[in-house]
Amino acid sequence: MNLLLEAISYSSVLALASVGLSLCIITTRVSNFAHADYVVVGAYAALLFKALSGLHPYLSLPLAALAGGVAALLSYLLVFEPLRGRSIVTLMIASMALDLIIRSALQLFADHVQSFLGIFARGFVFRDITVQLGGLKLELLAVAAPLTSLFLLALLYFLLFKTRIGIRMRAVAENAELAEVLGVNVERTLSFSWFVSGALAGAAGVFLPLRFSVSPDSGSFILLTLFAAVILGGLGSLTGTLVASCLVGFTETLLVYGLSGLGVSTALRPLFAFSVIILTLLLQPRGLAGLWAAERRGVLPWVWRRR
Amino acid sequence: MGVEAAVVDVCVLYAVYAILALSMELEYGELGLPNFAKAAFFALGAFSAGALSARLGVILLGMDWEGAFRERSWFYATVVTREVARTPLLGAVILAVVIAVAVVAAALLGVLASYPTLRLREDYLAISLIAFSEIVRVAARNFDAIVGGTFGAGVVDVFAWAGSARYLVLLLFALGSLALSYTVYLRLSTSRYGRVLRSIRDDELAALTLGRDVWKLRMKTLALGSTLAAIAGVVYALYTGAVNPDDFTVGKTFVVVMMVVLGGRGNPLGPLAGAALYILLDKALSFAKHLVAIPVDVNYLSYIIFGVSLLAVLRWRPQGLMPEKPPLTLRKEVLLSYLRKEHARE
Repeated sequence: MNLLLEAISYSSVLALASVGLSLCIITTRVSNFAHADYVVVGAYAALLFKALSGLHPYLSLPLAALAGGVAALLSYLLVFEPLRGRSIVTLMIASMALDLIIRSALQLFADHVQSFLGIFARGFVFRDITVQLGGLKLELLAVAAPLTSLFLLALLYFLLFKTRIGIRMRAVAENAELAEVLGVNVERTLSFSWFVSGALAGAAGVFLPLRFSVSPDSGSFILLTLFAAVILGGLGSLTGTLVASCLVGFTETLLVYGLSGLGVSTALRPLFAFSVIILTLLLQPRGLAGLWAAERRGVLPWVWRRR
Repeated sequence: MGVEAAVVDVCVLYAVYAILALSMELEYGELGLPNFAKAAFFALGAFSAGALSARLGVILLGMDWEGAFRERSWFYATVVTREVARTPLLGAVILAVVIAVAVVAAALLGVLASYPTLRLREDYLAISLIAFSEIVRVAARNFDAIVGGTFGAGVVDVFAWAGSARYLVLLLFALGSLALSYTVYLRLSTSRYGRVLRSIRDDELAALTLGRDVWKLRMKTLALGSTLAAIAGVVYALYTGAVNPDDFTVGKTFVVVMMVVLGGRGNPLGPLAGAALYILLDKALSFAKHLVAIPVDVNYLSYIIFGVSLLAVLRWRPQGLMPEKPPLTLRKEVLLSYLRKEHARE
């Protein structure tokens, strides 16, 4: 039972972050290596909130989302907007540089927080609240994470399919030039979608320290798991990413539990995500979305490279 | 000794990074193949030194290995080093075997890593290579029979026979490796092979229609680049005298990619310049730390400066600090004879 709840909360946090990453990839074609850093930015915003106000970090959700969103927005405006239209690999390299910058900035930030506020800013964790639910003792995370995740993803769905800005976002993702011709302000729309994707990541960051100890370089540990979810989902499909992150979350949790029962070290946990990436690309490069998308569109992984 | 050691430190690190940057240049600059598993091949060279040097020494000395590798590798490395100080031949044998194994293993692994993935589109290729690189690191970290896991492994000092001139020999070895790598790279780059690589980079379909076996060339290039990276790994391991799997994170790959982009992809001098910039920045900042009180950790500051300068280069000077020039693929005598003929006709 506990294991199941663990898996659910892990998958929902994963879903929040990886759907954001997927959104980035769809709209701007940037495989953003800095995306996991927005999660960590969110976690640090929550830490700061907790240290300054003394309230429980759960309440910092809006703040963390805002912090992650602003970080993503800034990285779009300062880095990716000027580089629009460059090759995919150039954008990837730019995002690596960005990852390096954000991570180092977080390290400096952690140093300062540590010396000014006198709290641990490296390897910190939050203590969870235990709630009584019908005679069942539960950690709040098991309820809060899935609920928040569901709520935010429903909101995203509503945004994308029921509002004008959502239609614009999808139009830009489909064909930016055409959208521009039709009077869509591409830059503003893309800025907005980056903000949304960063905000989702920032919100996920609040839940992270409840399970793992978080440091400025925690991003590198989650990054490839996020990519595993995105790739398994089929690059460029939000639904696919959602399903895949649940799949990855569940299998990873269960597998780690099962194998540690057999005496296999839990330190091998990261290997799972890496194998998912490689196996997906080898066996089903269109990911899960390729299974149900009858229409053969979107980004094909095996195409001729031509410039 | 202080200044001398500092100079050696800078030069050896430069040689290591420059070789890595050269191998990245060959793959990414010339062929357009972003080999984001560079850290894994770099690690492979270092691992081969870490895993083999002490074991080999013990076997050659006719001793028995007692106890687990992770606990005893430092001890045996010291024992063998002491022996090498007396018999240089032992050091030479160990060095030769380590390099041979590193080169062969890297080439094989390069083919292995590339075989299934080379047909993928660039970004997928990059991500799967990153995953591959992390698999190598996590595996080395958790199976401590290879290089001692998180304990790391001791490396035999194969230049111990030189006594106090050890640093000088190491320096010569590092710079020699760099010179050799550069010569090999330059020869390849200006040959027919190099021209085909660049043609694939610029238009794969055209190269394919003109009868080039694109995938085979890619695989060959990846194997070659990996070999260079492994040599850098051996130099690095011999210099530091220790191998730790956690040294070889994806971050190392990023740094090397940035060197190539910063220096100018496609220009043979680009990676050399990029590596020099990085090392200079790094060392200048840690030197400045002693002179003025900088209120922040210098390591992170240098990362930030490096990242920002890379972004600036990407934005305002995408061809890098040293843009690609058409390479001189004809030999000088041939060129001169052409010129002379022109002259004679007039």
